[in-house]
Amino acid sequence: MSSLTDRYVAATLRAVPAQRRTEIATELHASIEDMIDGRTDAGQDRGSAERAVLTELGNPEQLAARYTDRRLQLIGPRYYLLWWRLLRTLLTFIPAIVGVVAGVVKATVEGDAGGAIGVGVSSALQTAVQIAFWVTLCFAVLERTNTPLNLPEWSVDQLPEAPEERQVTLVDSCASIVFLVLAIAFFPWQHFQPWVSGDGSRLPMIDPALWSFWLPLLLAVLVADIGLEVAKYRARRWTWPLVAAKAVLDLAFAVPLVWLLLTDRLLNPDLVQRFEWLREGGAQDVARVAVVLTAAVTVWGLIDSAVKARRQAA
Amino acid sequence: MVSEEVLRTHLQELRRGTVVVASLVALRRPDYGYALLQRLGEHGFPVDANTLYPLLRRLEEQGLLTSEWNTEESRPRKFYRTSDEGEALLDRLLDDLAAVQASVASLIEGVDR
Repeated sequence: MSSLTDRYVAATLRAVPAQRRTEIATELHASIEDMIDGRTDAGQDRGSAERAVLTELGNPEQLAARYTDRRLQLIGPRYYLLWWRLLRTLLTFIPAIVGVVAGVVKATVEGDAGGAIGVGVSSALQTAVQIAFWVTLCFAVLERTNTPLNLPEWSVDQLPEAPEERQVTLVDSCASIVFLVLAIAFFPWQHFQPWVSGDGSRLPMIDPALWSFWLPLLLAVLVADIGLEVAKYRARRWTWPLVAAKAVLDLAFAVPLVWLLLTDRLLNPDLVQRFEWLREGGAQDVARVAVVLTAAVTVWGLIDSAVKARRQAA
Repeated sequence: MVSEEVLRTHLQELRRGTVVVASLVALRRPDYGYALLQRLGEHGFPVDANTLYPLLRRLEEQGLLTSEWNTEESRPRKFYRTSDEGEALLDRLLDDLAAVQASVASLIEGVDR
């Protein structure tokens, strides 16, 4: 059986180029023997001295890497930032484009609308994995071949604009208020300028009976939301009182809406009677989708505002 | 109190370059790996064996050390010696080390005053 030292030297040499092996082997072997002698002279027995010396020298692959100046990293600091920026840039849009195209092709050319989302998501994921792999491989090769890229040096002109002092921008606030005004306008619009059905008669979408209480309540909440947007713009950032107010308003809107949807009271019954697909369970489908969307939007809004408030407080 | 970990990394950073200086000085008298390791240790330069042995090879490849096999003793040993090129480099490094020391000294003096 070969000694531990022989095995250690062999393991080190495996990772060293062939033309230098013999010389390194002889020298390393002698050095290890010298170190063992040093310990046995101090009274240690040979077996444990050998173990101690080899443990001190450490992982042979690492030692070999030091001999050959090999890099023990996939992508080092020279290329890391470039690799990361390129990867991020590519991943932000290419998988999304591929996914959408694959989904649209599935839905239109193959006529399978149901499978479109699955195909879109899986092709987007596959594309992302492929991009990550090939980009990383290219950079790992560059790292090992020491290829200079001759990229322009960083200069101060590349500095991004300083981040805006305010967390809540004017554009955001205006967009939110325009959206709220449109939402408020929708209620009277659908009542007075209603849907023209096939036979020329006009029907409101929402049950007119709700005007007695529920619709005014929802409208009041939307108006209060505009107030909240104005308060938020003036505060320049999300604060915990604003988050609490938003939570109250969102729930005051979402809970009645969900309740009306689930009890089949939102849609105008005359409208439901007029269309066969609404009559035959379509109304329930619409209600279910609307409930899920409402819940998702509400929860997302709460999380988003809380995260932003926390970031400000930190 | 500074943590052991922080202290160790800073000392390591400070010591990193001095191993080359110490080796080039010590190898004005030819020696083999393990003996050099011992001598450096005795003079206050504790170096890991797995750092020193590859370093000697690298310095040799850069032409800063020359080597010669000695086969007269019980086991063949490779003796390294500082080359003329190594001596020239060492001069520059020692100058720089002195300059660093002088800078630190004058800075300390300036701060104390």
